[in-house]
Order: sequence, then structure tokens, then C-alpha cells
Amino acid sequence: MRSISLYTERNTVIHAMDPISKLFYILFALLIPIILPSIKVSIVCVVLGLIFLLVARVFKKTIPVFSFVFLILLTVIIIQGLFRPGNQTTLFHFGPFTLYKEGLMFAFGVAFRVINIVSAFMILILTTKPSDLVESLVRKGLSSKIGYVIISVFQIIPEMMSSMETITDAQRSRGMETEGNLQTRMKAFLPLLGPVILGSLANTKERAMALEVRGFNSKGPKTYLLEEKKYRYSKVVQWGILLGIACALAWRILV
Amino acid sequence: MITVSNLSYAYQKGNPVLIDIHLNIDQRSTAIIGQNGAGKTTFVKLLKGLLKPFEGEVFIQNQQVKNRTAAELAKIIGLVFQNPNDQIFKNKVLDEVMFGPLNMGIDKQQATENAMEALEMVGLHDKLDMNPHDLSLSEKKLLCIASVVAMDTNIIILDEPTIAQDYQGKETIKKVIKTLKEKNKLVMTIIHDMDFVAENFERTIVFNEGKVILDGDTRFVFAQKDILKSAHVEAPEITKLGEKLGYRKTFLTIEEFIDYKNQERNL
Repeated sequence: MRSISLYTERNTVIHAMDPISKLFYILFALLIPIILPSIKVSIVCVVLGLIFLLVARVFKKTIPVFSFVFLILLTVIIIQGLFRPGNQTTLFHFGPFTLYKEGLMFAFGVAFRVINIVSAFMILILTTKPSDLVESLVRKGLSSKIGYVIISVFQIIPEMMSSMETITDAQRSRGMETEGNLQTRMKAFLPLLGPVILGSLANTKERAMALEVRGFNSKGPKTYLLEEKKYRYSKVVQWGILLGIACALAWRILV
Repeated sequence: MITVSNLSYAYQKGNPVLIDIHLNIDQRSTAIIGQNGAGKTTFVKLLKGLLKPFEGEVFIQNQQVKNRTAAELAKIIGLVFQNPNDQIFKNKVLDEVMFGPLNMGIDKQQATENAMEALEMVGLHDKLDMNPHDLSLSEKKLLCIASVVAMDTNIIILDEPTIAQDYQGKETIKKVIKTLKEKNKLVMTIIHDMDFVAENFERTIVFNEGKVILDGDTRFVFAQKDILKSAHVEAPEITKLGEKLGYRKTFLTIEEFIDYKNQERNL
């Protein structure tokens, strides 16, 4: 079955790390630039994030995501560079437009923070199986029902996609034109929705019963099918990150 | 009616599902058998134009499949899907059966006639206004057969027709196949029910790991014990019984066996 998860199988240090530590790193990447708003700190964080992505050997996979993010950031840079209130120092002119230093610096600040946060999330998403992440959250006390909902999204969407394909095949087999120009394809798409959605709803009922039969709602303590993914240095990493945040706070308050 | 030459297909590169298939399918009713994953369904989808071949050609009644859309091919070749739930999308039994004929451009009156005839054949003519999803699995399967029969194509392929059928259902399907044969249509099937193959199909093709390893008259095919074994296919029960009793003749149906025994006794 196809998967909508972006998880990429690799054998690296980052992959071996437990999901919770990676969540800590996201917290770190979110908080540090807020605590220390200097653009230099943001740059350091971005470089750190990129290094982790390289170490995890998933940098290539981030390119489509980053190119989308860059597109949005580019508009931010243009708009802020040209029109931010408080723009004074002219950098250069092109045609009737003037690019200002203040707006540009502000936009770069925003850009680095966004890249920083995106790369922190990419580290988590690209190197962690969704089921591993959810399972470790459930171990930490997340309700197993919510955990199931999150995991099932990753299963149901590919399932709907493949059932859509089968139903299209069935319709084509019975003489419905589904290939060709946009109009034909639109016309073919609408009658698809009924069976796909109804089918998914019907599946939901069956799935609920199947879960119930296997004791989903049982009150007793649950065990796990998979062994917990243990990372030797997870405590060190987590405490290190907390310490880093504390140091940043102290720096901000004292200096 | 169908000519397949040099046909290969793979869903993922380096993992071929069909390798260099050459087949000439004539008017004889034909069963395709083989282990799960042998490439049977893929082969049928290629015939139907639902998949496009990597290599090789498929000609159906002298039309090249590659250059046709599946919808165009629907006029000459019909396919009943394995899982009826994938195929049903109307709210009424009658509408479901009329969907195909109407798509083919048959006028409404003729389409209704075709549909009624097909529904009568499978014994669902008293359930015209029911919602197909309220039918039992075996009835749904029969409905799907009816909705392809109503399209009146020259070739009809049944993917696992006997799934979920009781004795009565199987008898109904046998009757449908017989009627179609009488109308000079080519009936093909993919199936695991060997007794059903022996009773209803003249020619049998055995697929194994993407290749055709055996092809011929059903009686000849079921006599090739060793090749069948290598394809992980078992001969029909009555054939095995005959063989274990030491008869040289290959039996295909129980009637055949009984007749033979009676003759033997009379001698």
C-alpha cells in the first residue's frame, strides 16, 4: 500500500533517536529565536537544523518543502523590503521601487525563524515513523484513542486513494470515459465521490466493530506490540536541550 | 479473438509481474488459473486497457489495445470485478445494470431490455428497486455479472465469479456462462475453484510467476500433474480421485466418472 507519510528509511544517528527527543528539539527551535531575537542566533539555529538534516541524510527530501516555503518567504522579503513602515535606509532602486534596509532585515529575521521551525519539524517527520511517534506519545500518557485517530489518518487516506483508483477502473470498464481533457475528467470525478465516501463510511463501521472485538475499549492496562525504541542518550539530549533553553533565558534576563 | 504477443508488465521497475507472454485466445471458453500473485489479474487488466503494457502488443478483434481508452474497449470486452463493492455505484439494482449499456450509447429502451434480460438470467429481476448495497454478497456478485452481461460485449471476463456463492449461486453462474457460450461470446475467467473450471471451461491457461507454463484443453491441462504441482495448483477433486484409483483417463466431472464406472460394470 502507498503511504502518505514522508518517513524515509535510513540508518543514521538521528533515526536511532527517540521521537520525544526530537519533539524537544522542535521546542528548542521554536523558543530560542523568541528568547534571543538576534538574527545571529537565528542563523546559528538554522545552520544547526540543516546539519541535523544532512546527518540524517534526508536533505534531498526537504527540497520540495523548502522550495514551497521559499516561495512564500520571497513575497515576505519583497513586501517588507519595499513597504515596511519605518523603512528609511535605501539599499537600491529598481524602476519606481526602492528597497530599504530595515524592512529587508526584518524580513530576513522572519525568514530564518520560519526555516528554522520548518527544518526542526522536517527532522521529526522525515526520520520518525508516524506510528513510532504516536506510540511514544501514548507511552507518555496520551490517550490511546487520540493516538488511534492520528495513526488511522495515515492509513485511511492512502486506502481512500486506492479505492478511488479501483472504482475509476470499474467505471472505465463499463464505458465511462475518464481519460482525456479536463471536462471529461471533471465529469468522471463527481460520480466517484459517492462510492468512495459511502464506502469509507461503511468501512468506518466495520473498523469500529473490528476494534471493539479486539478489546479497544477495555479498561485494563494495555501492552504494546512493538518494543519501545530506546535511545541511549535520550535523557542527555533532552536535559541538554532544556539546559540550553534555560541558559538562553538567563542570558536574555541578565545580559 | 485476442492476440497477445511479447507482453511484459511491471508495477515497479525491476519487479516484473508478467514476462514475455504470447497467447492466442480463440472462441473456446477459457479459464486462467495459478497461485495468488501469478499475474492473472494484471494480465486481464492489460486486456481490458486498464493498464498499458510496458512491452509487447495486445490485439482484440484486430484492434490494438494500446491506442484505445478503456471506455472505448468497454464495447467489446466486459470485466466483472472480483470485489462487487468496487463496482457498484448506483442506488437501484436496475440503474446499476443500465449504467454500462447507457454509457455505450445504447438507447434507453434497449438498455432497459438488456438489463431486464440480464437480471432475469441471474435471478434478480424481482429486486429491481432495491438498493444494491442491501443485497447479500453473493447477490451483489450476481448483480455485477448481470451489469456486465447487459452490455452485450463479445468478450466477458469474470474475476473469481464463484466467491461467496453457495450451490444455488454457482448453478446460476454456470447457467449464465452456458447462455453466453450459446450466444457465441468468449467467456474467460480467473478462478481458484478447479471443480468449476473442469465443469465449465474448455481451455485452461496456467500462470506461474508471470509466465504461462501450461496452456491447452482443460482435460489435457489437468492431466499434467507435475507441472500443476510446480505452479502450486491442484487438479479438481474428481480428477485426483480418478488418478488415485489408477485410471488412465482424466475425469473432469462427477457425471463423467459415474458414466465411466457404469460402463465398466456393464462390460
